[in-house]
Amino acid sequence: MARAKVNILGIACNWSPYCCYNAAGQAGLELPPNFRLMRVMCIGRINQALILRAFESGADGLIVLECEDADCRYGPGPEVGHSNVARVRRLLHYLGIGQERLVEKTFLADQKQELVDTLWDFTAEIEAMGPNPANPQRERKAS
Amino acid sequence: MKLDSPEIKRIIKERSLYMCLECGKCSASCPRLLTGKEYSPRLLAHKLIAEPGDLLYIQNSVWECLTCGLCEERCPSGVEFSRAILDLRAHLAETMGLMGFRAHDGAVHSWMRIMTAPDLEQNRLDWLTPELKVTDQGPVAFFTGCVPYFDVFFSNIEVDTISLTRDSIRLLNFLDIEPAVLANERCCGHDLLWSGDVENFEKLCRLNYQEFKDNGVKEVITNCPECYQMLNVMMPRVIDGFDLEVTLLIDLLEREINKGGVSFKPLERTVTYQDPCRLGRGAGRYEQPRNLLKKIPGLKLNEMVNSRHSALCCGNSSFINCDAYSKRIQVERLGQARDTGAETLVTACPKCLIHTSCAMRDPVKGESLAMEVRGLVSILAGQIEWGQGETPRRTGGSRE
Repeated sequence: MARAKVNILGIACNWSPYCCYNAAGQAGLELPPNFRLMRVMCIGRINQALILRAFESGADGLIVLECEDADCRYGPGPEVGHSNVARVRRLLHYLGIGQERLVEKTFLADQKQELVDTLWDFTAEIEAMGPNPANPQRERKAS
Repeated sequence: MKLDSPEIKRIIKERSLYMCLECGKCSASCPRLLTGKEYSPRLLAHKLIAEPGDLLYIQNSVWECLTCGLCEERCPSGVEFSRAILDLRAHLAETMGLMGFRAHDGAVHSWMRIMTAPDLEQNRLDWLTPELKVTDQGPVAFFTGCVPYFDVFFSNIEVDTISLTRDSIRLLNFLDIEPAVLANERCCGHDLLWSGDVENFEKLCRLNYQEFKDNGVKEVITNCPECYQMLNVMMPRVIDGFDLEVTLLIDLLEREINKGGVSFKPLERTVTYQDPCRLGRGAGRYEQPRNLLKKIPGLKLNEMVNSRHSALCCGNSSFINCDAYSKRIQVERLGQARDTGAETLVTACPKCLIHTSCAMRDPVKGESLAMEVRGLVSILAGQIEWGQGETPRRTGGSRE
């Protein structure tokens, strides 16, 4: 079956999820070719606007990679993430983009194989759904 | 570089900035300046005319304005200040890519721009409850606006703006009007236009107009003052041959209720009324909301120090420039509301509801500001009934 060309964005916390990502790279595990990663110091840094902006800018799927609640280096990071993801999922549902295009997953620092499997599964789901119906609407930039 | 392009000169001329006498009434009434912000409408007018080389000052100031229109109200020379700001924002956004500082990192504007995608199939109607009688197409449509989105986005401050839409439809149903609620209506584009994004505002206008036409809509009723301004004033400038009738719900209510037969259950409550900028100074509707409130027996309306023409903005417009000064305006406004002795603050705009609810959640000052905030339509929908001996009038087909 021909698969649609889709853009997958991951937003990863610098600590456990990025640790997994780094270890996966060192172990030579293959990642989906259309997956891009954005590293942040903590998922608590991400707000609803940044997630929406990704979809506005042409992301077809976005996976938020978090630490477990109890593992947060800063405090309430993952809880902030859950709240933001839940709200943006609802907005994506209203917008007709589909809440399935935004998911969150938590990882412990030694779960590199789980991370890689999750990314392949998510990519397959988004490829099956096809491109995001919101045409990329880029903001006008200074000329 | 100087800001002296022909377009800037046109704005200065057409918006009557040359008429400025430098009397300073605008700055003396500007809520932003009065709360301490380094912003002055009078000085901005002066800089535009006499010092167009002060790029930094002009650029910053253009985005500072609340566009609440209070300065225009006071100006003895008829300077159209808010319109000048609107034109300047559009011009600066187009030529220099400036969009101002957007609150909430621009998330609100982001979903509004997403709505410009023509193929979007929204699922925006799941707030419809079974008792609300609506159709999916027809000559009379109710324009919901962004309220379903606001309630999700602002769920952390527990604001309930969708109740304004539900209660609006309840009131229409009471008058035997079953409005069409369109599954794919877009944002009206108010916040995009007022933050300078004309291109996407026009896209939304065209998509909305097409949606109205495809569903046989001839009249659009709205409860939101900002949607009203966009549909009634701005959309006809974008759409050639615009032929929709745009009705503000409170106008329709006042007209229908004045025909007689309708009465209101008593409500023992002291309330005060916040004039939304787009409804009061924007559309001149000062008396209609008050007349409607006064029809409820037992309800006492106490006016705030600044009311009607001099009403104070809820602190923020178009989700740009929300900052500590906005908060001060809100604190000031809620203080005025509490000083009236009212138990409830009534407003007619979902954004006032959001901003006042937000200010009341201040961890330090919150308790001194907290009061019940309700939409005008919600109060009316809770009390309206047919008078004794009256049978419900069939108004659906032949309203005049």
